[in-house]
Amino acid sequence: MKNVAATADDTQHEEHTGEDGEPVPSDARRRPGRIAMAVSFFGELLITAGLVLGLFVVYSLWWTNVVADRKADKQADKVRDGWAQQDTGPGALDTKNGIGFLHVPAMKNGEVLVEKGTSTKVLNDGVAGYYTDPAKATLPMTGKKGNFTLAAHRDGHGAKFHNIDKLKKGDPIVFETKDKWYVYKVYAVLDETSKYNVKVLAQIPKESGKTKAGHYITLTTCTPVYTSRYRYVVWGELVRVDKVDSKRTPPKELR
Amino acid sequence: MYGWIWRHLPGNAWIKALLSLALVLIVVYVLFQYVFPWAEPLLPFNDVTVDNQ
Repeated sequence: MKNVAATADDTQHEEHTGEDGEPVPSDARRRPGRIAMAVSFFGELLITAGLVLGLFVVYSLWWTNVVADRKADKQADKVRDGWAQQDTGPGALDTKNGIGFLHVPAMKNGEVLVEKGTSTKVLNDGVAGYYTDPAKATLPMTGKKGNFTLAAHRDGHGAKFHNIDKLKKGDPIVFETKDKWYVYKVYAVLDETSKYNVKVLAQIPKESGKTKAGHYITLTTCTPVYTSRYRYVVWGELVRVDKVDSKRTPPKELR
Repeated sequence: MYGWIWRHLPGNAWIKALLSLALVLIVVYVLFQYVFPWAEPLLPFNDVTVDNQ
């Protein structure tokens, strides 16, 4: 090591010694003592850690959105293509590629593909997932009374429910399927609840003030933004079902 | 650490700088592609569902 430093410095420091190992003053300034080396190494480690954490923020808040939106767009195209083809064969409900699109004008995020399940793997593709666990969602297409429960990311991975706090009572939530528009209206908001509060997913969500069975929709995500300490819940109730026409004219709430 | 890497890169200052940039890009790629996706689920920033766990 000493030789490397010495040769690199040949031109400036003529007085470096050879074999005796005693550091000369100029050499000592360039090659600091063991403690100083350890301290500077530790300092560099800290700087590196800071840079890595900074990069992680960039990754979480930007890069995951890029990746997720790309995936979601691809999936959405597949679903639309599937709908465009007349005969989708038996079981027109193709749950693998998504069952429909959620339009929430107040969130200003376009259409959100809805897929089955709320696992990290599903949600990380920039979609909203309907619950299969701990409580099964009742899909609107079945026509049965129940709760259509959904979850999506607040930040990163598409951040599809980022603006959930912009939703107010009376705002429309529209769910689009192959041949129906399901128009819901927000009637209750729970802006902070425990992540263990699975009762919000009940078929009759009592916390929203309902006591009778009906056609409900529930959106859940995390709150406050950039953390997962609590959950944010928005409830809506079905007000109308429109048939999709040949031009897929959206219902007036989306125009 | 960084000084040690710099001294061990071949070539003159320009080549060293280019190689350093390449190294940085490799590190960023590995972080974004492998390390962060692995670390993210272990951190409590992205749980959006309500559940019993």
